[in-house]
Amino acid sequence: MTNEITTQPRPFPWKYAIAGVAIAVLAFVGYTAFDSSSVEYTNVARAEQLGKTVQIVGTWVKEEGLSYDAPSNVFRFSMKDEQGKIIPVELAGAKPNNFEIAVSVVAKGRVENGIFKASNVLTKCPSKYEGQPAEAMPRS
Amino acid sequence: MIGQILIHALFGAAVTATLLYGLALRHPGNTWYTRVARTLFTLLALGLVASASMLVVNIIQHRFEYTYVWSYSSRELPLHLLVACFYSGQEGSFLLWTMLVALIGVFLTPYARRHNYEEPVMMFYGLILSFLTLLLIVKNPFAFYYETFAADGITLADVPLNGRGLNPLLHNAWITIHPPILFTGFAAMSVSFAFAMAGLVRRDYHRWISIALPWTLFATAVLGFGIMLGGFWAYETLGWGGFWGWDPVENSSLIPWLVTVALVHAMLVQKRTHGLVKTNMILAVTTFVMVLYSTFLTRSGVLGDTSVHSFVDPGKFAFWILLLFMLTFTSIGVIMVLVRRKDMNINREEFSPSTREFMLSIGSALIMASAIFVTIGTSWPVIMEVIGQPKVAVATDFYNKIHLVLVPAVLIVNALALLMQWRSTPKHLLMRRTLEAAIGAGVFTGVMAVFGVRDIGPLILSFSAWFSLIVNLRVGWSMVTKSATMAGAYVSHTGIALLIFGVITTSSYTESHHAVLIHGVPTKVGEYTLTYLGKEQIEKHFVDREKLRYDVRIEKDGESRVVAPVLYWSDFNQRQSAFLEPGIRWGVMNDLYVSPKATENEDLFLRTKIQKSATIASPLDSSMSITLDRFTMPMEEGAAADGRMQMAAMLTIQHGGASHEVKALTRIGTGSAGPTFDPEWVTIPGTTTSVGLSEIVRNNEDPSKSSGELVFKDITKPMPIPREIFTVEFSVKPFISLVWIGVITMVAGFGFSIVRYTRLLKQQSPLAQGKRPPSSDVKPEILQVQPTDANSNQT
Repeated sequence: MTNEITTQPRPFPWKYAIAGVAIAVLAFVGYTAFDSSSVEYTNVARAEQLGKTVQIVGTWVKEEGLSYDAPSNVFRFSMKDEQGKIIPVELAGAKPNNFEIAVSVVAKGRVENGIFKASNVLTKCPSKYEGQPAEAMPRS
Repeated sequence: MIGQILIHALFGAAVTATLLYGLALRHPGNTWYTRVARTLFTLLALGLVASASMLVVNIIQHRFEYTYVWSYSSRELPLHLLVACFYSGQEGSFLLWTMLVALIGVFLTPYARRHNYEEPVMMFYGLILSFLTLLLIVKNPFAFYYETFAADGITLADVPLNGRGLNPLLHNAWITIHPPILFTGFAAMSVSFAFAMAGLVRRDYHRWISIALPWTLFATAVLGFGIMLGGFWAYETLGWGGFWGWDPVENSSLIPWLVTVALVHAMLVQKRTHGLVKTNMILAVTTFVMVLYSTFLTRSGVLGDTSVHSFVDPGKFAFWILLLFMLTFTSIGVIMVLVRRKDMNINREEFSPSTREFMLSIGSALIMASAIFVTIGTSWPVIMEVIGQPKVAVATDFYNKIHLVLVPAVLIVNALALLMQWRSTPKHLLMRRTLEAAIGAGVFTGVMAVFGVRDIGPLILSFSAWFSLIVNLRVGWSMVTKSATMAGAYVSHTGIALLIFGVITTSSYTESHHAVLIHGVPTKVGEYTLTYLGKEQIEKHFVDREKLRYDVRIEKDGESRVVAPVLYWSDFNQRQSAFLEPGIRWGVMNDLYVSPKATENEDLFLRTKIQKSATIASPLDSSMSITLDRFTMPMEEGAAADGRMQMAAMLTIQHGGASHEVKALTRIGTGSAGPTFDPEWVTIPGTTTSVGLSEIVRNNEDPSKSSGELVFKDITKPMPIPREIFTVEFSVKPFISLVWIGVITMVAGFGFSIVRYTRLLKQQSPLAQGKRPPSSDVKPEILQVQPTDANSNQT
């Protein structure tokens, strides 16, 4: 839509220059903003290798428990990625909503000294429709 | 059964009405087609209202033999929430959307007829409804429970006694108003599309603008208001702390809104200058396609991993219908525009750069740039997946960075557009006014800098917002003194400037503190003193929840207020995880926002970790050494009196030359956060020390490396009662009220404009000519302000 202005006819050619510069500036801003803000979805192995901010989709390792340390505001748990690799996670914040019943979690952060330091953890709740009918079905 | 038959009949009615309107278009002399189509259309709207009523009645009567009723409602819900259950799931929200499109159609039919546009407009409108009703057949809210779960061996006789209930996050008044308003906005966006296509069919590239403009303004106002309500809901109830998070679901309602804002401005340009003919066609198509695209993004499950909103997988068939829906209307739009492309070139207009039309075009282009960036950002994970690359999402600062450039640009262009005049602007006048406004903006920005706004981004935003605000108030005031109905645009822009001020202050100058509050102990947090006063159970008459209000007193300079964040457990998620609501002290200058994070009791015991076979000193008495020999197995201990499994640590304790064997038992429960341990205290013989086993950490690979945790206490000392600890995030949000005031002001401005353009249209409509002359105070305005509109009806 931005190039609609440029399709105007010619009497003031420097109008194209304005539009052209504007588009170039926006494209540049867009590219640099995008470049610094894109976050890859990946697994534990690659996150360890990259060392930069990524998102890992996985599940909480229930057996290893969870803990929240209120004074330092750190929530700790372990997550297992889709390849089955486990990594301890430290979230800078409280336990996310519905953490215990989530079917999967998406942690965003980076690996530091073998620990995934997360800035954000999303929980995916069991989708209702993938669910089964009510358990223990009473007949009416 | 009736519901299902009705839905199929409605699809038939929609398709037939569309075809009949099409035939009416081909045979202009024959009014029979139009009359039948109109009747069918009325029946369609009535049928949709009937379907919606049936669904609501099913929900209110708790007819859990319907899958939808079972999935989204339960017996415990009060009436207003039961009504809201109607659109809490996908099927119901599609029904709501379809019904609103049809109801708007009921008003649109006579409107289009009055402007001699009924057949082509209603043909495209009917096509939209055909697709929506087809979607309803696939996502049918009247499906029976036994049908849905036939594969699980459920038969006709199996009717659940209660439903699964409504997500507790939705249990508040907002759900009864936010979705219907949002969907009204979405539904109204179909109208501009239908008029644009009808204009192309009729080869009328200008008149449709005036006719569609009030509807486009309406859609923009309503959707904008709906989006704000969503933000307010998130802030007030859900405790997300802010009103906007660039979440895909939020973005997907913002994108169509941005496009329609661009469309409104481009339409104004065309109305005055006859330029931007193709742009408006393309924008009208884009608006509607973006409504469909956002429905696709949020309803097809493609963004599952990237949003805080939970998505429901709609199933393969619905996925393809949504995709087909989108592609069909994109193709219709593109093909229609291409077919008429040559024709539309007749009225080419050139804009000189120092004109209002040029600046408005630039403004529209910038808003479209925003829409494009937000679309790319939101769709990126999907795009990457489609082209087979590793999935990549963009962080929310992408949007912030982009808009730190785009928003000031839009605000400045907005002000310049108002400083310029249509067709041409005298240079000296423009220079003087621009300079005056810029100096004013500079002064006010300087004042803000004195009050603490020091960063470059907020300063640029502030300057541009002041610049826009000053120009709008000034130009607006001179217009309003001529006629109050002229105020619309200036009121709306003032609202936008206020909104931007609210965004600057809350996003850059919100103070957030993590605070651990011990019951009854005043704690200094920033400039405030917070005290956790105690908790009280509320809403006790509901058996499906345990809802606790946590009173927190906030004091500063002798003033004190109590806010009450809420934490509650609901049967909805088997009480496994608490739902949270913030406590807010509302204010004009700032909001104090207390977001609950966690509660626990003070830990008063001395705890020590111990490895198997290792020896440690007692934390109470360093002359006592403790060795963990082994853990006993659950089989050795048998079950505890309460049925829980038991294990024990076998300890050897050396103290004062004597050695004791001590067995520390612990009862193990299964908690949601892993196993829980309940130690049984044993006093070590000859001492006042009591020990218990408070945790076992099993190493499955190498059991010899298992470890445990021991707790100690001195039995001679009385045990203090542990106090409760309430952990919160406390934030001070300056001027967040400007966000709400700004959006409401903006919406109000649209109200003025709708009135204005509807009146203008009535006075210009060829069919309404007999009704002239209207009230005398409006007529001169047309002559003065809209001189070019007199020519706009020639086709």
